[in-house]
Amino acid sequence: MANHDNIALMAHLMRRAGFGASRDELEARAAKGYEATVEELLNPESQPPVDPYELLRYQPAALLPGGQPPMGNVNYMYYLVTTKRPLEEKMALFWHHVFATGNSKVDNYDQLLEQIEIFRNNGMGNYRDLLLKMARNPTMIFWLDNNQNHGSAVNENWGRELLELFSLGAGNYTETDVREASRAFTGWTFETKIPRLPYGRFPWKFEYRPEDHDDGVKEFLGHRGHLNGEDIIDIVVQQPACARFICRHLYNFFVADEPQVPAWSLEPPRDPEALDAMAKTLRESNYEIRPVLRMLFNSDFFKNARNKHLKSPAEVVVGTLRLVGGYDIPKPGYGELSMQPSYMGQDLLNPPSVEGWHTGSEWINSGSLMARINFVAEQLGNQSLPGVRAIIERLKAKGTLAPDQLVSECLDLLGPVEVRPETRTELTDQAKQWGQLSWDSNPNAQTAAKRATEMMQLIVATREYQFA
Amino acid sequence: MPLTTVSNGRTYDWSYAIGRAAATGTGFNYPQTMCLGNDGDIFVANRGNENNFGQRVNRLKLGAPGDEELLAEFFTWGEGDGKSQWPFGVAVDSLNNVYVSDEWTNAISVFHGNGTFIRKWGRAGSGDGELLRPAGLACDKDDNVIVVDSGNNRLQVFTGEGKFLAKYGKAGSGDGEFNQPWGITLDTAGNIYVADWKNHRIQKLSSDGTFLMKIGEYGTVPVASDAFAVTYLGPHVSTTPPAEYPKAGLLNHPTDVAVDSDGDIYIADWGNHRISIFDARGRPLTNLMGDAQVMSKWGQQSIDANPDMMKALRRVRNLEPQWRFCFPTAVDFNPKTDEIIIADSQRNRLQIYRKVRDYVDFQANL
Repeated sequence: MANHDNIALMAHLMRRAGFGASRDELEARAAKGYEATVEELLNPESQPPVDPYELLRYQPAALLPGGQPPMGNVNYMYYLVTTKRPLEEKMALFWHHVFATGNSKVDNYDQLLEQIEIFRNNGMGNYRDLLLKMARNPTMIFWLDNNQNHGSAVNENWGRELLELFSLGAGNYTETDVREASRAFTGWTFETKIPRLPYGRFPWKFEYRPEDHDDGVKEFLGHRGHLNGEDIIDIVVQQPACARFICRHLYNFFVADEPQVPAWSLEPPRDPEALDAMAKTLRESNYEIRPVLRMLFNSDFFKNARNKHLKSPAEVVVGTLRLVGGYDIPKPGYGELSMQPSYMGQDLLNPPSVEGWHTGSEWINSGSLMARINFVAEQLGNQSLPGVRAIIERLKAKGTLAPDQLVSECLDLLGPVEVRPETRTELTDQAKQWGQLSWDSNPNAQTAAKRATEMMQLIVATREYQFA
Repeated sequence: MPLTTVSNGRTYDWSYAIGRAAATGTGFNYPQTMCLGNDGDIFVANRGNENNFGQRVNRLKLGAPGDEELLAEFFTWGEGDGKSQWPFGVAVDSLNNVYVSDEWTNAISVFHGNGTFIRKWGRAGSGDGELLRPAGLACDKDDNVIVVDSGNNRLQVFTGEGKFLAKYGKAGSGDGEFNQPWGITLDTAGNIYVADWKNHRIQKLSSDGTFLMKIGEYGTVPVASDAFAVTYLGPHVSTTPPAEYPKAGLLNHPTDVAVDSDGDIYIADWGNHRISIFDARGRPLTNLMGDAQVMSKWGQQSIDANPDMMKALRRVRNLEPQWRFCFPTAVDFNPKTDEIIIADSQRNRLQIYRKVRDYVDFQANL
């Protein structure tokens, strides 16, 4: 395989399993090898974690931010932008999509950040264990009203979403199953927390109240007994539909865009064979997520899925900030940066509903597209940022650039980005108006750098750049 | 849990708390450092947040519990003279002029004690007299200002007008070297104590910058298996002891230091959520964990004005997380009152202990 192909494949892996990478990093990883890189990503403990103390050193309000943005977003964005464990952070984002819990109701970013920390620490571990952690997670309990699910008065919100959105999908259970599952989770609640006045926020603590639990006989998905919540989760993961459901989420997030979750019972998957293979791996590994990811990233269906995934706003913003660099310290203005995904339609820590965000083409409308392009173009136009300077230095090393060379090199260094012939023609037409770029004098070098950033700004405005 | 801590012939009584979470007025917003004024008032530098609320220095009158008063607020968020982006260090000279550092603008602003702006000095860089993220400040007996030049990993000494006089230290982990230092204090002999934040230790230097002693080594406090995490970075509260007993003398990102009139040394052990006390030779004595079982005056006002909060507070099974320090950033000792004043940063309050001179064992048969 030619070196360029290696770089392109590595760039694909890093865009999906992380948030992109600089050319220096791609070259280093390509030299190390694809499978070795996959293993490193799957074993994040080989890299240092994000230093939370560094964040609090400069932005102490990011620890217990309460209900008002942007300090919770600052906290989350700092991890996303500075992590050296990209897949760990990408999996945390994945589970945030699946177990979508939002500040609109919770009114407490502290608790949402704690939930993200659970995803960060357990995201590649065992799905059954994670599901149980979510069932006991006070933030989830409050979000889906299980604190109002009493032995004498059942609230079905958690029981329904557990089956519909978190494990099986519509069509794989009955209304009776919803009722019985909900009964099994009665008494799963939390202690009253210390109120926010006068000293700021305190967390919830999970509490099981046996006196509020319905200990009667239940019938759930063919099983009968005095079932408690943990029994329900054990039965759920035995269902063939469970592995396929989780794997379809993984496929949609990492491989190629699927229809929205409510349509999954109606529309077949894009690649049933891939889904079967993933689900088989998940079942055979007793619901360990890491083996599925290993199989996925090393598969041909993943390697052949370049540009079949429309970047989420988080991927756009985080990928850009990691590319341009200079955001290792959460400096003033970080709050505004951390809200950028919200302006593009993905309000992190505050998904629109328990269903999470609608992905794929639904990310794009006239407003969100402009927000994407303007943000990325502004960052890439800032020559004071180290990542932008590094790209310009690489262009400079190529010497005098003819218009078609400028286009090719910029496309290469921004991805590589693969564009249609007509897009390339349009970009080249613009470059021709600038003529040849040379670096042989300070004024020429300044002009060349300016033109190079302008070309990159044009590229990020193309349709093709919105895909990963 | 004890409100009185007795150890190694010393006794510390928890006295009272001051403040509440407030972006303005009677409370604090992530206090980073503080300094006692000549008249016993205290100046507290508040960091604020990205909504540009809360940045300020507030001056408070101290007294008996409940006597606290807010006297002035200045160095609020904004651009230009007298305004701040990232307020951090605060120090007071013999004339009660107040020096405040701004980590973002790399400047030191000077105010009268009443908050009137006088001047500012400092510019970004790494040369002599240049600053990079200036943190803690201290004024020496000649009213020179010692700046913890955190980003440059050194101390710099200036006159009150900003003329460069001297520099001590460089980046590293050896004696006299620093890694992102934070707070600073001077003892009565003029020796310099610096919280060497990322080296997890306190360094003591002579007044001319010669290394004398270091205190502490990196370590975290053991956590019991059933512990409840007050934040995902601690502190942890448990009814059972941890499996292992914590080794004495461990520090986790210490942020500040104070020295009392007996030479005992108080360290804000920020990452371990405690105040660690050492004797003058650097031997560990005991720790204070936070004991705010009684509401502060202004805190009680917040509760009284919000019946829902009062009801919620009554429903809480265990209030211990509220007593505890949560990332204490700063510690001062008031020699006139024997009070140890601690900025309990994430709880936006000060907790005040008193070093008790006349303690007798409590009556055990009550």
